[in-house]
Amino acid sequence: MANVVKVSPFLRTVSGRIIQTSVVPVRNASTEKKVFGPLKDEDRIFTNLYGRHDWRLKGAMKRGDWYKTKEIILKGHEWIQGEIKKSGLRGRGGAGFPTGMKWSFMNKPSDGRPKYLVVNADEGEPGTCKDREIMRHDPHKLIEGCLVAGSAMGACAAYIYIRGEFYNEASSMQIAIKEAYEAGLIGKNACGSGYDFDVYLHRGAGAYICGEETSLIESLEGKAGKPRLKPPFPADVGVFGCPTTVNNVETIAVSPTICRRGGDWFGSLGRTRNQGQKLFNISGHVNNPCTVEEEMSISMKELIERHAGGVIGGWDNLLAVIPGGSSTPVLPKSVCDDVMMDFDGLVEKQSALGTAALIVMDKSADIVNCIARLMEFYKHESCGQCTPCREGVGWMNSILQRFDNMSVLC
Amino acid sequence: MATLLRLWPLKRGLGCPGFIGTLASRAQSTAPEKIEIFVNDKPVKVDPRSTVLQACAEGGVQIPRFCFHERLSIAGNCRMCLVQVEGSPKPVASCAMPVMKGMKIKTDSPDTRKAREGVMEFLLVNHPLDCPICDQGGECDLQDQSMNYGSDRSRFTDMEFAGKRAVEDKNIGPLVKTIMTRCIHCTRCIRFASEVAGVEDLGTTGRGNDMVVGTYVEKLFKSELSGNVIDLCPVGALTSKPYAFTARPWETRKIESVDVMDALGSNIVVSTRGGEVMRVLPRIHEDINEEWISDKTRFAYDGLKRQRLVTPMAKNAQGQLVSTEWEEAFFRIVEKTVSLSGDQIAAIAGGHCDAEALVALKDILNKLGSEALCTEEVFPMDAAGTDLRSNYLMNGRIVGVEEADKLLLIGTNPRYEAPVFNAKIRKSWIHNDLDVAVIGQQPDLTYECEHLGESPKLIQDLVDGKHPYSKVLAGAKKPMIIVGSAMFQRADGAAVHRAVSSLAQTVRAKSGCGEDWRVLNVLHRVASQVAALDLGYKAGVEVIRNNPPKVLFLLGADDNTITRDDLPKDSFIVYIGSHGDNGASMADVVLPGAAYTEKNSTYVNTEGRAQQTRLAVTPPGMAREDWKIIRALSEILGVTLPYDDLNEVRERLEEVSPNLTRYGDVEEANYFKQSEELAKGIKQQLSDQPLTPPQLALKDFYMTDADITSITDNVALRESCHGVGQQ
Amino acid sequence: MSVLPKFRTFFKIIKENGGVVGSFLKLYRTEELKDGTLVGQDKYGHKYYENKRYFIARSRWVDYADDVGMDYDGSQVPPEWHRWLHYMTDDPPTKVPPVTRKYILDHIENRTGTHEQYVPYSTTKPKVHAWQSPRAN
Repeated sequence: MANVVKVSPFLRTVSGRIIQTSVVPVRNASTEKKVFGPLKDEDRIFTNLYGRHDWRLKGAMKRGDWYKTKEIILKGHEWIQGEIKKSGLRGRGGAGFPTGMKWSFMNKPSDGRPKYLVVNADEGEPGTCKDREIMRHDPHKLIEGCLVAGSAMGACAAYIYIRGEFYNEASSMQIAIKEAYEAGLIGKNACGSGYDFDVYLHRGAGAYICGEETSLIESLEGKAGKPRLKPPFPADVGVFGCPTTVNNVETIAVSPTICRRGGDWFGSLGRTRNQGQKLFNISGHVNNPCTVEEEMSISMKELIERHAGGVIGGWDNLLAVIPGGSSTPVLPKSVCDDVMMDFDGLVEKQSALGTAALIVMDKSADIVNCIARLMEFYKHESCGQCTPCREGVGWMNSILQRFDNMSVLC
Repeated sequence: MATLLRLWPLKRGLGCPGFIGTLASRAQSTAPEKIEIFVNDKPVKVDPRSTVLQACAEGGVQIPRFCFHERLSIAGNCRMCLVQVEGSPKPVASCAMPVMKGMKIKTDSPDTRKAREGVMEFLLVNHPLDCPICDQGGECDLQDQSMNYGSDRSRFTDMEFAGKRAVEDKNIGPLVKTIMTRCIHCTRCIRFASEVAGVEDLGTTGRGNDMVVGTYVEKLFKSELSGNVIDLCPVGALTSKPYAFTARPWETRKIESVDVMDALGSNIVVSTRGGEVMRVLPRIHEDINEEWISDKTRFAYDGLKRQRLVTPMAKNAQGQLVSTEWEEAFFRIVEKTVSLSGDQIAAIAGGHCDAEALVALKDILNKLGSEALCTEEVFPMDAAGTDLRSNYLMNGRIVGVEEADKLLLIGTNPRYEAPVFNAKIRKSWIHNDLDVAVIGQQPDLTYECEHLGESPKLIQDLVDGKHPYSKVLAGAKKPMIIVGSAMFQRADGAAVHRAVSSLAQTVRAKSGCGEDWRVLNVLHRVASQVAALDLGYKAGVEVIRNNPPKVLFLLGADDNTITRDDLPKDSFIVYIGSHGDNGASMADVVLPGAAYTEKNSTYVNTEGRAQQTRLAVTPPGMAREDWKIIRALSEILGVTLPYDDLNEVRERLEEVSPNLTRYGDVEEANYFKQSEELAKGIKQQLSDQPLTPPQLALKDFYMTDADITSITDNVALRESCHGVGQQ
Repeated sequence: MSVLPKFRTFFKIIKENGGVVGSFLKLYRTEELKDGTLVGQDKYGHKYYENKRYFIARSRWVDYADDVGMDYDGSQVPPEWHRWLHYMTDDPPTKVPPVTRKYILDHIENRTGTHEQYVPYSTTKPKVHAWQSPRAN
């Protein structure tokens, strides 16, 4: 909804705008793919997802990071935005707003105020653990992404707002930033391109609501992290009163690779309007819970069977799946059998892709208890500015706790 | 925060319409073409920058709200204003939603009603429902709206006896009482404090159901406008401490009147019950006070019940003032006066006199052959002096500051001399990018300002173009110069006035703001001054000091400008006024007058706008309206004044100065050039003494006795407010 | 019925009240003439009479002292005589003197209507506090 002060934070980055899908390039019908996944090894972007290699600058450069970044920047912001638009990349924070379009909001001529890029690394949605893997094992991808995205929108600095609980991730990020500064990759004359760009790391204090973009901005400014009213949108008045774009870590981290390999390559993966690859987190009642990079539009069943070792007790033992982090609606098994894991596929089934964090529940799970527990989380994390949520979540919690204790039967 | 608030208007130009359009309606220049929307299928043409709520109001539909307020920014907290918009899956918060072309709004559909009912139910879940002991009862938005839009029965069955949310009350000072359990978190008070009052004292702490409005650490809500949060609070969370448990709104009579605590003439409503003033509330007047009033205006009413003069008094053989009868008091005066020639009689008018009393006193003295009528406040009488009205008025008007782009304050602290005007300056500073500069000791203002220096010589430097700021002034489109009347009390007051008026002329000539724009403004501190000068009173008591009279009339003059030591031993002092203080203490005869809530009378504010106070309660005891006392005295003195009732006095006022009876209008004044020409004759030199406004701290505001002695001096509340100053 | 005793009573009354002039003055003061035996006199000078010829309620009366003049009042009767006068007892204080206690106050008459009358004062705060002038030096 436009103008809603509090938007469920899983719709992180875009909550304000209606998604205009028309700008996303439509693939030629003759090359229309029917089968998606598994992702080929050469198409992987996050090649150190499991931390088996060196995450520092040396190792990252060996894996291809910071390769010809200068040239990418020198091609200019229009070219970068064009590539991103061509790739059809949609925001990875949950709402799936086309990233290229979002960056183009920053094209407005400057009125003297600096512009900022803010990276939303406040990954707090229960079930989601994709950004921490990036920051832990591939921090340079994110820093390079900041530079590329920042230059694409003419930002003078990037603020990475990292969740307070991510201590080790923040440490890795800070070391990586230091390395990048020392190597001259960011800072004054970043990568020798003549472009000045700073990257700052800001640790939050662990509030779920700070994952919502305007409350993230408030928190970054040093105030209590509670959402602001929109409009004005952050692209007009964002952090410190300046135009700001807030992007998810994954969105930013994939952008340099898209620029290097071309938007067409990225666009060739996945379904139309849902192109690309994605990090999927699979947790719950599976044999091998994991985070895995996969092509978009892969079927849920294949994703779980191939990477997570299947549901405990076999597919037939499946009860339900929460497909995109705890705030997306639960899908029963009948739907899970043939649903595609992408934005449109899940919206069709009245759920949402969210952060692509699958929470799998087999038949041993007590669904009421599960939901009651999630509701307790949302009660604790409500910001309390608007009446329905402030008062309502508390009531929902007490109702569900009553269900759960079965006192309703007494 | 302050800087962020200021950035908003900048953004408005960059195409984010509507989000704050309500606040700066006056400042907006070009109105874009209206668009058509449908409110309950009725087509309405509205401004595209307006919100759905405003659009519905234009279509004649009132939408319930708690957090939305026309003069504050939009928060969108309460969700009471939910409406159904066709094509939108969920109900929309109408206070925050900009209108779009062809929008179809349903304000009375079943879905809308259900949404409102649900929100109301949610609000009441944690509201204590202690209406019978709540001071807001009877004028409570929550009460009214739950009657109109709420459910008719409760589903609240507290089976586990978990209870409702309870919140600790905050102590935020002696004026505002807090019962925070009643709070519905609309954040109006927070927004008022940060946007209008300019103090960041209030905020929220905690999250979700534990969210609490307060000051975080226990401290005072230190603002001269703090009382306005009482009116803003839609429930009984913030109520008036002095008014607590004294009256119910339906028992009181409301009389529309005018305030006299400062020279602005804020419009007020006086609530009375049983011949007693129970409280004072603001009344909307867009050109003066919008809907704010200062704390002094709001809380000074308890001074109307203390230290009152209730009977005539005369000195007995021991030299002690004792109660007496009217006849006795009058005969005493006549005894002393009959044998005197006119030049041995004089009068001084204080800061709270109404125009009727002033004209009666002037007439009686003139008939007795005296011309020695003075005001306590000094104003330079050299050159054009008070002969040209433009010299002593706020010519640019109070609303003028909303259009101005450069403002120069000279030796004034509007924050405490005219708090409501200060709020207007802040409003203009936020929404209109007003630049403020100050000459004189730097006051603690609620907006950023450039401090040019303290010496009065700076004014001359600005005239001569020696100071870098003179370029800024020359580049202004609509410059305003405001000089505090306190600066004319100085020894070099005439020179200050000459310098300021020539600066105003120079700035006007250089900036090309046109003949219609008024640059020179005088901010008076007392309510009676403009009327007194209009009626031909001499400003300042110099005349009396030079030629001490045998009989001196004090009309509410309590400032000790003339004391016993200035007069011959056998001189006789008559005090006419409502309160006993310095003036009554040194008087030989005291005649009890009426205070501003006890008479129908005329006051002229600093911009020259005549307004009426209305009789709300009768004067206590034997006290009478001041002009009637003077009229009765005239008869005994044998110089009977030719008017017997209020209309006849006002006819006389009109004869002397027609603007005094054109109520509600501002009588414009001109002749700036002539005045400046005449002022060139002033030989007085500017001194080096720094320009110091009389009130620099909040303490001074509450403790002020700049002619307001008679009322606020007595406020018991002042003792408690003293704590405010000391913090 | 003989008329003679009536005349005798008449002249007795005239005589006991101080002759024609005395009786006239008495009649002017009390609007009544009676004969009776003097039972006693209290310390304020009021004299108390009894005549059982009259029926009860009129058979005992008081003749107020001369110094109260026309301002006599029922409350001027001290309590010890009050009880005899009102037939609470048949023993006048001359026969059975009242018990004296040191705490018994001297009798005062009802002061209502005089300057010394009791005036109740308000316990509520006055709505308007009048100004008192500071004491002159």
